[in-house]
Amino acid sequence: MNLHSLFCPRSIAIVGASDTLFKWGAYIMSNILDGGFTGKVYPVSVSKSIVFGRETYKSVRDIEDKVDLVFITTPARTVMAVLEDCRDSGVTNVVMVTSGFSETGEDGSRMEKEVERFAIENGMYIVGPNTMGIVNTHCSLYATGSIVRPVPGGISIVAQSGNLGNQIMEWAEQEKIGIAKFVGSGNEGVLKVEDYLEYFMDDEDTSVVLMYIEGIDDGKRFMDVASRVTAKKPVIALKAGRTQSGSQAAQSHTGAMSGSHVIFESVMKQTGIVIARTPSELLSLSAAFDSFPVPADNRVGIITLGGGWGVVTADECEERDLSIPPLPDDVMEKLDKRLPPFWSKANPVDLVGQPDIVLFEESIEYMAASDSFDAIITLGMVGSKQFALRAAEAAMNLGNLSKAEYQKFKDNLDQYQMDFLDKIILITEKYGKPILPVSLAKTDYDEMVHQLKGSKYKLVIYGSPEEAVLCLQKMYHYSRYLAKRRN
Amino acid sequence: MREIIMTAVERKQAALSEYESKRVVESAGVVVSGNRLATSRDEAVQMAATSGYPVALKGCSPALTHKTEMGMVKLKLKTPEGVAEAYDEITSKGVGLDGVIVQEWVEGDNREFVIGMTRDPQFGPCVMFGLGGIFTEALKDVSFRVAPLTEIDAMEMIDEIRTQKLLGEFRGSSPVDRKKLAEAIVGIGNLSSEYDEIAEIDINPLVIEKGNPVAVDALVILKK
Repeated sequence: MNLHSLFCPRSIAIVGASDTLFKWGAYIMSNILDGGFTGKVYPVSVSKSIVFGRETYKSVRDIEDKVDLVFITTPARTVMAVLEDCRDSGVTNVVMVTSGFSETGEDGSRMEKEVERFAIENGMYIVGPNTMGIVNTHCSLYATGSIVRPVPGGISIVAQSGNLGNQIMEWAEQEKIGIAKFVGSGNEGVLKVEDYLEYFMDDEDTSVVLMYIEGIDDGKRFMDVASRVTAKKPVIALKAGRTQSGSQAAQSHTGAMSGSHVIFESVMKQTGIVIARTPSELLSLSAAFDSFPVPADNRVGIITLGGGWGVVTADECEERDLSIPPLPDDVMEKLDKRLPPFWSKANPVDLVGQPDIVLFEESIEYMAASDSFDAIITLGMVGSKQFALRAAEAAMNLGNLSKAEYQKFKDNLDQYQMDFLDKIILITEKYGKPILPVSLAKTDYDEMVHQLKGSKYKLVIYGSPEEAVLCLQKMYHYSRYLAKRRN
Repeated sequence: MREIIMTAVERKQAALSEYESKRVVESAGVVVSGNRLATSRDEAVQMAATSGYPVALKGCSPALTHKTEMGMVKLKLKTPEGVAEAYDEITSKGVGLDGVIVQEWVEGDNREFVIGMTRDPQFGPCVMFGLGGIFTEALKDVSFRVAPLTEIDAMEMIDEIRTQKLLGEFRGSSPVDRKKLAEAIVGIGNLSSEYDEIAEIDINPLVIEKGNPVAVDALVILKK
């Protein structure tokens, strides 16, 4: 099943196009036009002759050019006629935004069956019905009902709830986490979550698949597709309905302990899907997998600006299947030459409150270069500028520092931090190991994802040790899953 | 095995008897404790002599679900007289039996596990492994995988339970042979994929004898 022309159309028609604000036909149309889609856009309307300054067509049949994708936003009772127009015009891809199908009851289910039959008979790919729409950032196609425009990147999303998908894209937009494609799968009358998953497997723009799942129709096919996709790229999923207890009457003890969610989680483990427990975790994990390499094994080196934080992080690691091996002799020697005599002499390496960028960079590189570690967590260098800034601010408030001097000081500190993060990306590249910086003080204007031009890796700056450790744990589990199946 | 299952289906049994259940899971690769069915007192005594003392006797019928509560289980019998007496007692309860199971006494080391199977409406047969014995449902330290499953899957199920320490060397007992455990789990998965007639399976307890898993009780429930 190739959904390429659905996600990368050269021409689009919108049936039910409108410029009456707060109508779906207006949301979709204005989002597509304003979002910068470079292909052709044809509004189709029986009631309006001009929409957003463009002349409309009465029917899809009237459009002379080839149309790659049709959005349908007109009421449910009209869709079969529109589908027939589409078929007659050679259209094979449809996004059916229209609601009023199986989600409303028996009549709706019957209509949805009719749509499905029609699609199968005529070889049509239909998203929805009752979908939020689709996005492909790499061709500036933003075609969802709510306007969210994350930057282009490697994460592709399939969500069985359009709202939740939108919320995740909104966070991604705010945090500049790159998104490749989005689809709200809606009622899945024709195309199912497995179809999108399978398409993302070979999609070159997709490096990570993010899924929000409420239920699936074909368990065996889902497992088959999922295990093939995870062998190629990570899939992160949130399955809703954790607390729903199994409703089937069981006669055995085994049956009494199963239940749909327990089984679904087992399926995710069996097929190598990374399990997220909340929507924010879903995005955070996807960003990690999209940004830096997975660890080969579970041995973590910790470098910290202060002792307490190192201990807390080490505890988190131990409780999450990660190990904190002792410092090997060669690293010990190298660090000993650079650090004051009272340094920790152990992993976690405590740099005893010295926010010295060069010292941090060197220590990180010694650790990353060592065969004893598979991943590095570094705490406190990033964000420490905040405290220097506050001291400068106090001095400025007291008249000891001019506003210009303060600004210059601030600009310098910001630049140092950027340079430091660039350096960490270079070390990540050089050794192919994940390095996770945790910020001492993350502010609203600080970026979450740091990029360096020309590098295939990015850094995610974590707000807390526990978030960094959680991401590392899930990456280790994925890496272990793959390693066991490669041998 | 096909014969046991098909006969039971034809007879509209809700479940297989313990004797039948054990034969079926044994065919799937699960080691079961000595499983012989006596239909007379003399036969029971003879079987006990063959297997060696001590033995356990259990009333056997597909309709029997609460054997212990009904006084149908006699444990650790050490003499022919004891066996004869137990046989008479079990058969005098007025319950129709297929016979009486004569089972060699397995000296487990207090560690008890469970292997089970249930069918999920979405994914089909799912195999369970975990902590067995009487606390199984209270502690719920179990893991599931969809059948058929690979040995790697089974190993990961074993690694997943919280009470990992019980699988290692424990209070002087040797570590559990994980490979044998995995083979049993894979076997139950294959059995369930092959026989649609089986609805659910409980192998509980699965005791550990010198590091090896041995099923001392099994229940195979058939589809309605």
